[in-house]
Amino acid sequence: MPSLISPAERDYILKGIECNIRADGRQRSDFREITLETSVVSQTSGSARVRIAGGSDVLISVKAEIGPVQVDPETGDGADKGQIICSIECAPSASQQFEGRGADDLNNELTQMMSRFLCSNNTAISSLSPTCSGSGGIDLSKLCIIPGQQCWILFVDALVLDYGGNLMDAIFMGVRAAIYDTKIPKTEVQDLGDGQFEFEVLDDEEDIDFVHGREDMPICITLNKIGTRHIVDATLLEELCTEAKLVVAVNRAGEICGLQKNHDGSIEPSLLLEMIQVGKTMGQALIKNLDAKIKEEAESDLTKRLQGDPARKLGFFAQ
Amino acid sequence: MSRVELLTPEGLRVDGRRPAELRKITSTTAVLSQADGSAYLEHGNTKVLAAVYGPREARHRTLVVHDRAIINVEFNIAPFSTGERRRRGKNDKRLLEMASFIKQSFEPVVITTLYPRSQVDIYLQVIQQDGGVLQACINAATMALIDAGVAMTDYVCACTAGWVEREAAIDLNHIEESSDTSEVTIAMLPKSGKVTLAQMESRLHVDKLEALFTLAGEGCKQIHQVLDRTIRNRAEELAQKLAV
Repeated sequence: MPSLISPAERDYILKGIECNIRADGRQRSDFREITLETSVVSQTSGSARVRIAGGSDVLISVKAEIGPVQVDPETGDGADKGQIICSIECAPSASQQFEGRGADDLNNELTQMMSRFLCSNNTAISSLSPTCSGSGGIDLSKLCIIPGQQCWILFVDALVLDYGGNLMDAIFMGVRAAIYDTKIPKTEVQDLGDGQFEFEVLDDEEDIDFVHGREDMPICITLNKIGTRHIVDATLLEELCTEAKLVVAVNRAGEICGLQKNHDGSIEPSLLLEMIQVGKTMGQALIKNLDAKIKEEAESDLTKRLQGDPARKLGFFAQ
Repeated sequence: MSRVELLTPEGLRVDGRRPAELRKITSTTAVLSQADGSAYLEHGNTKVLAAVYGPREARHRTLVVHDRAIINVEFNIAPFSTGERRRRGKNDKRLLEMASFIKQSFEPVVITTLYPRSQVDIYLQVIQQDGGVLQACINAATMALIDAGVAMTDYVCACTAGWVEREAAIDLNHIEESSDTSEVTIAMLPKSGKVTLAQMESRLHVDKLEALFTLAGEGCKQIHQVLDRTIRNRAEELAQKLAV
């Protein structure tokens, strides 16, 4: 990951964007080609790999594990809710700057942002911890097994393997696809009387639940303000010219689920509104496309399985 | 205590292999855009990604050696790589130990004197574990170093061998590894037959050791052929692209 850009190169990118043509031939509102595959890591409950052509590469896994419910000591909230715990890690293979503890700050920033966006109706306290108690579309109460005692905890781990700009969008697309892919075993709760409960996890492969509300999860669109214009899906070099970044999280209904302004520059109020509007429309269109593709893949996997063929995944052999 | 039957009466292992049979190895190089060289390798269900940066200017001036390059290895295990989710910190002793094993097995092979005052970084990321993590990492790192064009005298191929119940077997999977099997990992230079790493963490009768070493050596040679094929295919592909 370069951290410096020459004045000539900056000028070239700036003027190109002014004329609505970028260094790789795209227009301001064009995305690069996105490769998305689900169920790539077999020992997880759900997984996905997202690759943006010539750049960012993110592997996301969701693991469902059983644990105690976490009750907020002040409000008493959360007794009947499951949890989602997010963690984003940038591997040193993505950039030499991520070696050792070099990625800690970025990891923390990304993890917090994701936790917040996935839990849009958070209380102030829970937004300080990476444990979600609200939801970004996901119905957490459906993850509860025995209220006040046991629940499912979804561990969402994102691993950034390669960095080529526009990381946040890639991560969110991946997280949405991985949660969409997540299969949780069904449980059977037995009432033993006098407030005692016992449950059993059904290990039949057909007895599975999907995450409720997975369709309503948001994705995010990052808009980069360069000069007086803004672009989506910035490359590494374009990110270096960016004055201000606006991350807009949006769900399929077109509702804004979160906003975050990053970077050192500022945005005029009128441009800000315009950027949010653009983020909203683009996000909605992208979700529609993604959903169609994910469904298509799930269906083709299912038909293959019914025919007895092993579902072949390309994983890292997809180029 | 019920024990897993590791060897059927017919002499087949839990995953249906014969004792001297490797798991399927699939690999590819140049998977990452930022790294100078990268490789992805699967030994059955063990999946590893390796990235190589350099030779480049050493990051810390104190580490600079004036007549050769230093090799730096960082080894990471994804929290979701095992059945149960487990997060390891950056300073986990086990991770650091593995990194130093890998570093030591490459030091005799990489021609470091060609790159004085510089540093070669090898970053390894384990994505899925099913036994033989160290061997997979060494094999992946070899391929990534070749992909980066770092000068080496030979491949470094690693293979495990272990005494499974009554027979010597190579390339142990997780079930075999975790049921009290004595396991040896060796890394070998396939051309000269020299061993650059030998590691065993359990007890084994000395009479049985030689059989394991020969078997693991055979395994290394087989692995070398598989890796070499991938590298040559890739080189041919690149040559064709140049010719057009």
